[in-house]
Amino acid sequence: MDKKYGVYICTGCGIGDALDIEALSGVADEEGLPVQTHPFLCSQAGVDIIKNDTEEKGINTMVIAACSRRVNFDTFRFVGSIVERVSLREGVVWSHPRDQFAALTADEKEDEANFDRVQMMAEDYLRMGMARVEKVDLPEAYQLETFSRKILVIGGGITGISAAIDAAKAGYEVTIVEKENQLGGQANNWRKQLPLSYPYDTTLAPTIADQIKELDNYANISVRTNTVVARLAGEPGNFTVTLKKPGEKIEFDVPYPLPDEMKVDEKGKELNAEQQHEKYLEYNEGRKDILKLDPNGEKFGAVVLAAGYKPYEPKDGEFAHLGFGELPDVVTNATFEAMAKTGRITRPSDGKNAESVVFIQSPGQDNDTDFEYAGAVTSLVALKQATYVREDYPDTGKAYVFYQHMRTPGLQENFYKSIQQDPGIFLTKGEVVGVSKNGAGLVVDARNTLLGENVKVKADLVVLGTGLVPATKNDPVINLAYRQGPSFRDNIDLFQGYCDSNFICFPYETQRTGIYAAGAIRRSMTMEESIEDASGAALKAIQCLESVNRGMAVHPRSGDLTYPDFFFQRCTQCKRCTEECPFGALDDDEKGTPKPNPARCRRCGTCMGACPERIIGFADYNIDSIGSQVKSVVVPSEDDYSEPPFRILGLVCENDAYPALDMLALKGLSYSADVRLIPVRCLGSVNVIWIKDALSQGMDGVFLLGCKHGDDYQCHFVKGSELASIRMKKIGEALASLALENERVAQFEVAIDEYDKIPQIINEFVESIETMGPNPFKGF
Amino acid sequence: MSEAIMLDPDVGFIKDVRALGGGDLKKCYQCATCSVVCPISPENKPFPRKEMIAASWGLKDKLVSSADIWLCHNCGDCNTRCPRDAKPGDALGAIRAYAVSEYAGPKALGKLVRDKSKLPVLLAIPAAIFLVVGLLSNMVGLNWLNFSPAGGHEIWGHSYINNYLVDIIMIPTFFFAVGTFALGLKRFIADMHANALAEGKTKQEKIDPAGFVQAFIKIIPTIFKHQKFDECTENKSRSTAHMMVLYSFIGLFIVTNCFFFAEWILHIEGPYSQINPVKWLGNIAGIALIVGGLLLLKNRLAKTDSVSSYWDWYLVGMVLALGVTGMGTELLRLAGLYTPMAIVYFLHLMAIWCLFAFTPFSKLAHLVYRTVAMAYAEYSGRGF
Repeated sequence: MDKKYGVYICTGCGIGDALDIEALSGVADEEGLPVQTHPFLCSQAGVDIIKNDTEEKGINTMVIAACSRRVNFDTFRFVGSIVERVSLREGVVWSHPRDQFAALTADEKEDEANFDRVQMMAEDYLRMGMARVEKVDLPEAYQLETFSRKILVIGGGITGISAAIDAAKAGYEVTIVEKENQLGGQANNWRKQLPLSYPYDTTLAPTIADQIKELDNYANISVRTNTVVARLAGEPGNFTVTLKKPGEKIEFDVPYPLPDEMKVDEKGKELNAEQQHEKYLEYNEGRKDILKLDPNGEKFGAVVLAAGYKPYEPKDGEFAHLGFGELPDVVTNATFEAMAKTGRITRPSDGKNAESVVFIQSPGQDNDTDFEYAGAVTSLVALKQATYVREDYPDTGKAYVFYQHMRTPGLQENFYKSIQQDPGIFLTKGEVVGVSKNGAGLVVDARNTLLGENVKVKADLVVLGTGLVPATKNDPVINLAYRQGPSFRDNIDLFQGYCDSNFICFPYETQRTGIYAAGAIRRSMTMEESIEDASGAALKAIQCLESVNRGMAVHPRSGDLTYPDFFFQRCTQCKRCTEECPFGALDDDEKGTPKPNPARCRRCGTCMGACPERIIGFADYNIDSIGSQVKSVVVPSEDDYSEPPFRILGLVCENDAYPALDMLALKGLSYSADVRLIPVRCLGSVNVIWIKDALSQGMDGVFLLGCKHGDDYQCHFVKGSELASIRMKKIGEALASLALENERVAQFEVAIDEYDKIPQIINEFVESIETMGPNPFKGF
Repeated sequence: MSEAIMLDPDVGFIKDVRALGGGDLKKCYQCATCSVVCPISPENKPFPRKEMIAASWGLKDKLVSSADIWLCHNCGDCNTRCPRDAKPGDALGAIRAYAVSEYAGPKALGKLVRDKSKLPVLLAIPAAIFLVVGLLSNMVGLNWLNFSPAGGHEIWGHSYINNYLVDIIMIPTFFFAVGTFALGLKRFIADMHANALAEGKTKQEKIDPAGFVQAFIKIIPTIFKHQKFDECTENKSRSTAHMMVLYSFIGLFIVTNCFFFAEWILHIEGPYSQINPVKWLGNIAGIALIVGGLLLLKNRLAKTDSVSSYWDWYLVGMVLALGVTGMGTELLRLAGLYTPMAIVYFLHLMAIWCLFAFTPFSKLAHLVYRTVAMAYAEYSGRGF
């Protein structure tokens, strides 16, 4: 498109009072761009000026120097035009108030040795805005060649059934695959179930049969029992899925990556790439490569993963102090449920009545954590199972629950309250230290109970409140034909095998676009929670379909029409992009050339940050657009002033850190006026070339401001900030070779609500740079 | 930490305590708000939090032998503040009721006293005794029951129901009560001490009788001044009524003893003159008993967030019955309405008999148990 530029400066909201608008307009004049000012640009009159310019003068590339791009978003959206928002209000005048950053007086202005830091800042930001619009284009949406609106639901338990019904109600075609030969999942094994609705005070007879029956009302749901996913290839909107019977071996079983122990020879030396590839082929003999599409595969657009859980099975010798394994009358809650389902509760050892039952919710051993994969569900299940004892033995039955945590969230509290009323059910917090034999029965020893002492209780049966292990713990389940592997790769370590990406901030999202998790695969959940969760995941799947069909990104850059563009001629097949992509969006062919799958992409730009050849970019966000912004910053040297101000570049994550900066401006906080901030999609998208550009043109330091990483990461793209920190460590070596101090480049973590900490972070970094002195390359 | 103790919950105990007014006790979720807000709970091992879980777990022995359940004055602050509406104050009251019946023998009688439906039976017992003994006396010519006393002599209760008859029945009944209490207390004190030792609530190894008596003397003023009761917030208003009733009982006890002495030792025949100072005391105490009883009634009716069980109403009823029949007898006599007087006097005697006979089994037993428990707390250094 032929760009026709226009610069618009708003002087409202204190901008005109704090800045020399004439001088600022001069910056645009210098570049030969038409500039207009308005005291109230976001008013109808102000917006009309811009609209008229578009209509009359054909202006289609606007630099709007006013408030932050995070406000008045709709007001300044001009479809078909490139719009750059220069944040004068939040970024300059509000965060650098004149009572702290005094303007020059008329006399001072006379002397050219004086300078006004805030004015310089505004002028730089305007230059940066003008530089960017020159380098970006309007995006053209990615179009899938074929598109399927069908939703695949993996798992036919209550979650899968509910998700299928919700999606079907919304008019989508759904296929449920279930590996067992009947639907219902774990709910088929229960005597009673937890309440599903108000008043939540009593157990229910199993409802699963009715819920299965409800499926018959939907013609657009098909059910495939005794079926598993052998391979799931392609991208959202165009998945090719191979289904098979459990245990069957077929050529479209997905190849698995070589396990670590096979990557070395007998002596423990790592094999080279070719040898490894050979081993890989050997390991996956008879399986087609991931890029080979199954011609008979079924097409789906999105997936709801509702594969549920398996009851935890203690390993040999685990919980020996609780007698598990040794004493037949110590069982897990799943075993107990199965016993209760078949009849009266008895002792496995001798078949006699089990009238006194102790439920243990934490394995103890100087640790107050519950059993692994436990949670509110296991608390509620203990309460539910306690009622079985009372049902079977109303006069003599006694049920004890020893817990470290009794979790009955929300209105499930009513369930706790109601169970508590039973005179034969006894609850206490306490640490169980042992279970031992006592004649034909057992004795349970507990410490630090609410009863104020160490206590013992006689029991016929002891039930361990073991957890719900997500199906993805030991099995990929989804069997993706992705180069990064068949499962949810990174979060296996982070979330104990739960396949979620971050269940607090981004529920249902997984690290694989178009695949949404619901139910016990996400965390231990009750049936009620699973039903609600299923709705969420079904809606996510629908949202995904209705985005990818338009070439739009899904969460978290919902609606983004850009996607990464590769200049393959210069690709060196280093595979960094393929390996670092947090979402496994890239596969590679035999030569190692990346094969993008744009619909899998979340548009974070991690590939762009990773690429050493800098051949990856987006229409409106690329190496050159940011690089030009960096280069447009004026770096004063001793030629200009006797004591030139420092220049420090900040690359700021737009998801959390940039909003936090706006917040601090709103709160009247301030930070050094010598920094120049550029928002980036994710710290993962930061290419080190920008840092080198900044330093080589004389900027004195560069910092990255983004999300926390590690176990409690807050990165919207899961790994971006972590990858950035790895790259920053490596850049240190490059800096050392340039005789620049490592400390000139730093990365800081900030959460969105930590706006109050940012001034200190920035100012301390600026001070440390000042202590180091100016960049020796300045002025060259 | 002490050795682990084997717990054996007594479900029957939980059901009994719930029926005795602790119906909400299983709502407790052990937040300890009750112990924090309780104005009179000691700092070391405060009640009623620990009593609440012990009761939920049916730990009968631990509770009935505890002095702490008696240190509670049922202020009701815990009831008001309890976030779960478990009414710890009421639960402790119910546990006390249970404890009373545990220590008073025969237990069958205790069960009758606790049972609302058995009230007519209880009242029938003294009526039957009086009538049977009286009629027997008439048969042997003693004529202790006189249904139409001759004029000439001033007519009073004695004219209808001879004082011999009254005292021959009342004195053994009184000593039956004393004996019951004595037996109960012997066990109670031993249990209480064992419990305090087990739970680390005392510094004393053994009970030294002299020290115990000293402690007892020390707490007398506390009781008379209702110092503990006055620390309450919610039920402070009950303090006045309670004090009136307590002093009335003491006054009437003194009056009864004076006239007993006058009649049987000095052989001065009643009825006694209205200007006699002892008579004054009797009249004042009688009026105070009625007023105090009415106030108790009013307070209980006004307090809707606490449970009042039959156990509580029995005592209020007893106080009012004693007061009303006592004063009624005197007023009817002064009014010259002798036949009604005789009937009311008979009812008054029934009430007194019930007071004597059933006190060890009724709520009024707290007079003894709480006093002893407070003395023990003082002696054991519980810091109450």
